[in-house]
Amino acid sequence: MILENISLSLQRGKAKEVKMQVQAALDSGVSPQYILNCGLIHGMNVIGGKFKNNEVFVPEVLVAARAMNAGLEILRPILVQTGIRPIGRAIICTVKGDLHDIGKNLVKMMLEGQAIDCIDLGVDVDSDEIIAAIKEHNPDLVCLSALLTTTMIEQKVIIENIEKAGLRDKVKIMVGGAPVTEAFAKEIKADAFSPDAASAAETAVQMLTKQVDDDV
Amino acid sequence: MFNKLEWYKPNLAETVNMLERLYYDALNRQGGNVTFRALPPSDVDFYSTFDLRKYNYDTDITRYAEDLCILLHNSYCKRRLLDDNMLPTISPALGIGDYSAFVTGEIDFRQDTSWSQPSLKEVDDWKHLPPLGTSKWYQRFLVICEEMLKISAGSGIPFIRGFFSPLDLAGALRGEELYYDFYDNPDELHELLNYCADATIKFADDIYDLADKYLRDSKYGLFYTKGIINMSEDIACMISGTLYREFCRPHTQKVIDHFGVGHLHTHSRAMYLVKEICSLNNVANLWLATDPNAPKPIEHIEQLVDDANGVCLAIDCEHFTEIKNNFYKLKKGNFSITLPVKNIEEAIEFTEKFKILR
Repeated sequence: MILENISLSLQRGKAKEVKMQVQAALDSGVSPQYILNCGLIHGMNVIGGKFKNNEVFVPEVLVAARAMNAGLEILRPILVQTGIRPIGRAIICTVKGDLHDIGKNLVKMMLEGQAIDCIDLGVDVDSDEIIAAIKEHNPDLVCLSALLTTTMIEQKVIIENIEKAGLRDKVKIMVGGAPVTEAFAKEIKADAFSPDAASAAETAVQMLTKQVDDDV
Repeated sequence: MFNKLEWYKPNLAETVNMLERLYYDALNRQGGNVTFRALPPSDVDFYSTFDLRKYNYDTDITRYAEDLCILLHNSYCKRRLLDDNMLPTISPALGIGDYSAFVTGEIDFRQDTSWSQPSLKEVDDWKHLPPLGTSKWYQRFLVICEEMLKISAGSGIPFIRGFFSPLDLAGALRGEELYYDFYDNPDELHELLNYCADATIKFADDIYDLADKYLRDSKYGLFYTKGIINMSEDIACMISGTLYREFCRPHTQKVIDHFGVGHLHTHSRAMYLVKEICSLNNVANLWLATDPNAPKPIEHIEQLVDDANGVCLAIDCEHFTEIKNNFYKLKKGNFSITLPVKNIEEAIEFTEKFKILR
């Protein structure tokens, strides 16, 4: 019941309630992993599904993600103590020439909602910064956002430069943004495309868990 | 530099009559009008060659205006044999940064567009801004408009300018924080949106006064400004119909009511909002731009006819057959259909085919 309440409070964007309920769940002996999976991530999955179906929209996703973070503030140190790790690490940015950040931020929140560690490089980011970040942070996934037909071409440039830098085999690359299509993603040799933030998180989880399976 | 409007549009009177009837019927919720615009590359290509970074906007405004007017003239020359529904217009092009910088903030110019940064850290920070009309870009934009009007007025080409809706303006000024304001600061958000409505009204009034000064004696120069406001509802694509009704509708309506008639714009990913937007009073036209990864309006004509309730929907399609196959359905409402084409020859060909269809 308490986990269901956490999930519902998160879906309603009630950050203070989520924080209190997560603490109450811990106090009553529920494992942090269980709270994460069946409370917080469950809630974000419901929100993600509704977002894909046009049942909720950007403001509702943002307040839900904020509530998720409020719960994670309590949970994160305990998860770290108990040795529970994120399922992967992603670098995310909006590409050079493009200053739109809402789509990128939504994807970041959805990824974090799936326990993926995110390093946000911000907007207007070029190949050099991304390559430096790959070398520094050793991510599993690079997510490139573009909202303009004039800037989506930069996704291709970045993928080519990652290849030239000899890093292409080390990361999966996902592209997205309003003008980006699956055909374009294939043409520029991205590993994945997603039409919305919720799908991006689903695809990322599939890629990261497959990668773990392959590594095993 | 410019020739007379009639030179660019041989069937000018007929085209204007068609548009007047379209908008009149739209306001009276009577369907039956379908008009056609061909979109050859030359209608839009020049924007990518117009480098916004090469001007000093303190000292180069005359050069900027002349350069842009030459590009517009060249573009209109290429389509002068096209007898579609498009009227040549004169409008400044500074990217999107200036759509909010007239209130406050700077414009970050890039090659073919511009950006602004959110400048209201708190939702009520607008209360500390200098009076409307005093910002650098407000005054500079009026100078740019006047320079373009000085060059073009003798031609009688209509002047046009689009604006952000109050919600879009608030979004540009607040950035992502706006989305939290719906839930965290609803009363303050209404105040901000009301301020944005007032700002738009004042800015548009001042621009329209300039247009009136230079074009009042022309036959069609004020076709897109007299009693009309053009506004985008882009941020609306990110919110629900419920939030639109509560937060956006009253403020967008306030702006429309000040001018008389609204010509609005949103995107096909917000098809669910067509009914909301078209139920605003005195909306004559809604440009519903097609987004990739979103439903194509031409594939939802019956629903759109119902939702628009007579308001003219400006939509685009990919193939002429889409227009032909849906023509009977389109005639139940009011539509302006844009078809991208490869070149002027193809534009002429499809325009003639459309006339037969009509």
